Amino acid sequence: MTALPKLEDLTDQSFDPFQIEKLSTGDCPDPYPRLHELMAQGTVIEGSYRKEFTAVPDVQMGHLPQVMVLGYDAVLHVLTHPEIFRNKEAFAPNLGRSFGNTVTVMDAPEHTRFRKIFQKAFLPQVVSKWGETIVDPVVARLMDPFMARGEADLIEEFTHHYPFQVIYAQVELDPAQAPVFHKLAIAQILSSIGAPQGQEASGKLGTFFAELLRQKRGNPGGDLISHLATVEADGERLPDDVLISFLRQLMNAGGDTTYRGTSVLLTGLLTHPEQLKAVTEDRSLIPQAIDEALRWEGPVASTFRYCAVDTEINGQPIKAGTFVNTVIGSANRDPSKFPDPDKFDIFRKNTVRHLAFASGPHLCIGQHLARVEMTRALNALLDRLPNLRLDPDKPAPAIVGHLLRVPEHLWVKFDT
Amino acid sequence: MKQWMCMNCGWVYDQALGDPLGEIAPGTAWEDIPDDWQCPDCGSLKSDFEMVEI
Repeated sequence: MTALPKLEDLTDQSFDPFQIEKLSTGDCPDPYPRLHELMAQGTVIEGSYRKEFTAVPDVQMGHLPQVMVLGYDAVLHVLTHPEIFRNKEAFAPNLGRSFGNTVTVMDAPEHTRFRKIFQKAFLPQVVSKWGETIVDPVVARLMDPFMARGEADLIEEFTHHYPFQVIYAQVELDPAQAPVFHKLAIAQILSSIGAPQGQEASGKLGTFFAELLRQKRGNPGGDLISHLATVEADGERLPDDVLISFLRQLMNAGGDTTYRGTSVLLTGLLTHPEQLKAVTEDRSLIPQAIDEALRWEGPVASTFRYCAVDTEINGQPIKAGTFVNTVIGSANRDPSKFPDPDKFDIFRKNTVRHLAFASGPHLCIGQHLARVEMTRALNALLDRLPNLRLDPDKPAPAIVGHLLRVPEHLWVKFDT
Repeated sequence: MKQWMCMNCGWVYDQALGDPLGEIAPGTAWEDIPDDWQCPDCGSLKSDFEMVEI
């Protein structure tokens, strides 16, 4: 087997992107009361979502004209009208700087062409096979060290690692390189707050992936990277810049969001013991528990679109050139769609689809993998940690952050 | 089991459920869905669906 390329660490090895990321996402305990107030004021409100909750400036977009779009119908309208609300201009100054020419920074027809090629590698019948071969071993390996202890911090010891390790397994990364990989994956998104380490991390990941692709094309295997490196559509391979950008984004889109989603799922169940009991006894409830967790505390509370033409929503005008904070968190807590929306209730009936994975052409490519990962992780925890419960001697879990939400700790006890 | 799946997002058409929000009544056969109907998740056209083994 060919040795994988070496991943180079940041020049300033003392730089801690995890701490900086926490500062940038803030410690807002609960943005939803404010979102309910804003929804009561209207559908389109001048200003940015970020400024509602943090004084940390957005150096890339803070000076640009912005509105917030609120409520389920309005958010769905924005997400499903890509001819009006575009991605390219919205994400070029932020994700485009971090990841490069990724599908998130494209619109049709370019987006349509590349999206299908990437999605093919993440269709349900493809990712379901990874559950046993890739996800289960990662989950078991992470659980082994705390199994006999009777207690654990499920964030620090489990959820913060397992989706990233699933990706490392896909890349067949040397475990010794994993800490640097995780660090660069987080550091690369700090371009949006002006940290120079963001560009440095993007560059170093790009160099690594370019070499990895070269190796995989020379000696392709059955792994995801080999597939993407060699797949053809209409007789063409994916251009290297598009593929490398996608792989950079995969670390965050596939790792960071699943870590947050799983953490929230566990928090919702552990703080509602009767629902945890129901799921423990009837695993067919897991899909609806996952969907309720993603609705209740979706990992990404707001996304962006760029309004390309003068338009209006609910009679409220949006001018061409405006950046639209598309507040997914407001859609998923819209009381007109989800009765008692702030309540975590896996037994909700007759509701519309939540928008945690967005909607429209940019719907999350990795949603099916996320579901496989969350299902496998939850099943393993329920199977192997009998009488799983919150640790009464430790602080209760607190989901924090205004944009990317997660609890910092989830201390639990279980029988051994 | 084979079902019609959207190749752009992986959404699967379940004939028993239809797509009520897209005005496709439960029980509607795939052949009877109009060509201009769109995938309820990503907005792709009916022509972007393929029959796949799940």
